[in-house]
Amino acid sequence: MEEKKTKAGDWRSYQRVLLPPVKDLHKLDVYEKHEGYKALREVLTTDKWDPTSVTNEVKKSGLKGRGGAGFPTGLKWSFMPPVDPNIPRFLCCNGDESEPGTFKDRQLMEYNPHLVFEGMLIASYAMSIKTGYLYIRGEFADWITLMEEELEKAYAKGYVGKNIMGSGFSCEIVIHKGAGAYICGEESSLMSSLEGQRAYPRVKPPFPAQKGVWGYPTTINNVETLTCVPLIINKGGEWFSKIGASSHPGPVLYGISGHVNRPGVFEYPTGMLISDLIDEVAGGMRGGKKLKALIPGGSSTPILRADQIVGVTMDADSLRDAGSMMGTSGMLIMDEDVDIVSWLRRITQFYHHESCGQCTPCREGTGWLENIVTRLDEGNGQLRDLDILLDLCTQMEGRTVCALADAAAWPIRYTIDRFRSEFEAKCRPENVPSGGVLETA
Amino acid sequence: MGDFIKHPFVDAPDRNPAPLIPGDQLVFTSEEKKQIQTWISRYPTADGAIMRALWLAQEKFSFLPPEVIKLVAEEVGIPYANAYGVATFYTQYFKEKKGKHVLDVCTCFSCQLCGGYDMLHYIEEKLGVHKGETTKDGLFTVQEAECLGACGTAPMLQITNGTFVHNLNKDKVDALLDALREGKMPAFTSVTLPQDEDEMGGNRRTDVNSVESYIVPPVSETVS
Ligand SMILES: Cc1cc2nc3c(=O)[nH]c(=O)nc-3n(C[C@H](O)[C@H](O)[C@H](O)COP(=O)(O)O)c2cc1C
Ligand code: SF4
Ligand code: FES
Repeated sequence: MEEKKTKAGDWRSYQRVLLPPVKDLHKLDVYEKHEGYKALREVLTTDKWDPTSVTNEVKKSGLKGRGGAGFPTGLKWSFMPPVDPNIPRFLCCNGDESEPGTFKDRQLMEYNPHLVFEGMLIASYAMSIKTGYLYIRGEFADWITLMEEELEKAYAKGYVGKNIMGSGFSCEIVIHKGAGAYICGEESSLMSSLEGQRAYPRVKPPFPAQKGVWGYPTTINNVETLTCVPLIINKGGEWFSKIGASSHPGPVLYGISGHVNRPGVFEYPTGMLISDLIDEVAGGMRGGKKLKALIPGGSSTPILRADQIVGVTMDADSLRDAGSMMGTSGMLIMDEDVDIVSWLRRITQFYHHESCGQCTPCREGTGWLENIVTRLDEGNGQLRDLDILLDLCTQMEGRTVCALADAAAWPIRYTIDRFRSEFEAKCRPENVPSGGVLETA
Repeated sequence: MGDFIKHPFVDAPDRNPAPLIPGDQLVFTSEEKKQIQTWISRYPTADGAIMRALWLAQEKFSFLPPEVIKLVAEEVGIPYANAYGVATFYTQYFKEKKGKHVLDVCTCFSCQLCGGYDMLHYIEEKLGVHKGETTKDGLFTVQEAECLGACGTAPMLQITNGTFVHNLNKDKVDALLDALREGKMPAFTSVTLPQDEDEMGGNRRTDVNSVESYIVPPVSETVS
């Protein structure tokens, strides 16, 4: 096959940095041998760095948030108000990871927990923060135990806590255990959850940088975003900005699941050709089947048909042109046998279950979506149901406190748009296979 | 289909149900109290510690009836209504008594496509209960779960808010249920990255078992 030039460059010889091939890297002594806490030491103890220069270096790197929205991280940090010694400030590291199809942060916490802590500490230094909360979803109980063990060791060695490395900078890290609610991944909901309330999202503005947890300035970043920070300090923002697609640079963890031979998390530069990811990285389609569709970045990013991914690369620009989004880069690959309507029905069930219930368009709308898609899936639908669905989506999008309603509406909108014939086929009872993938029980 | 419009009547929960946990057991030990105080000290206000305190109570009493929530609220020092609101918001807090082992079978999205429903139905048939129900011997509760963040090893399940069991197939489910009946919990398994096969050095953890089965992925019966 002729060699294609991709934004990811020579990705086959890419050297991993977030999840490097080092045995037992989660242990503090192994981590220390591999440049562990070197970036933190440099930031805290040399004159080269002050909070502003750290933020500037992150800005220069072009790092964009890996939590879904892709907001430039350095810019987000600079939204924090000027330091007032009487007002506490907080960092929240978002390890809620409940977007279906996303499972990358867990790998980071499992194999490289100290990189997460180091990233949190450097970010805290850059924003003069003294407490960082690491919010981990409750389902990751085993990983929380592992992380807490490692955190204790980092405390004992003086990497976290009071007067770190004699620099006069103090920072606490607290691991907060969630208890199973997708909505806690949304930043304002995460704050409510931290404060010990029901995890209801809040109206923005005020944004977290102005009024965050307990009303104090707060910055929220994804786990993967923060793990990039020590690398940027060690190797320079410029090095980082040259990895992968120039408008959306850096290493990224692709979580590939579904009908491929080797599902899993793979670290490569951004801007990988989707076809390379499926055929080479993930070992090709399972059972030699044909690709039907894929989701590039978690359940709420628009679905792409096989014919829409030709030449498309995994970065914000290319995916936007193709009609989708980067999201969390948790990719779901579907083969030709997938019943799209049944699959969509399961997604609507998810959003209905996870709606927090504050806003009527979302609370009721997600339920209606589920009911109507269920009706279609069972072969009792009518053609006009598709119009009702699209109308419902319009009435949900942008009319709620948080973006969950949009996230619930997009899969419907784009799946109908891109697979309309499958819905139409299901509307006629004689074409409906008994039961479909889902069963009512 | 018939229940598309029909809404079932739901009785409002009893505000003061008879306690399920006898009063003399309804106490925290001094160690547990100390632990809760440590958590409280990590937050600007005591409220922040409520989630951890509820977790602790759930591990101790196995579920959270109103009297336990009340106890936790008093210990943390926040109004009962707030604690109740938190306990009822999150799905992982059990408001009613469950089986000794709660099997959360993921059927979301990736797991659905990789045979999550096959596994759920297989377990339901094997145990003779529907999802949401508990077996008569009180050993197992079967639940359908939303994405548990392990889609790369779908289909999978979680045992009682703890260990994940990856890459399920029927043999694995059989072995798992037998082991649980004998009181053996599976060990924590580290999901080795496929990219990390041994010839590349690998970033395995040596302190936990690893999963090899990605090499031969379980193929679902209904879908692919
Ligand atoms: C409904 C909803 C769910 C979200 N879930 C997550 C999540 O599980 N993990 C995450 O990191 N961000 C999640 N986000 C995005 C966060 O709100 C926030 O944008 C992100 O954590 C910011 O981090 P970043 O700038 O590093 O990307 C979610 C957003 C919405 C609207
Ligand atoms: S949009 Fe949905 S999830 Fe978000 S606040 Fe409103 S009801 Fe809650
Ligand atoms: S869909 Fe089952 S773990 Fe994500």
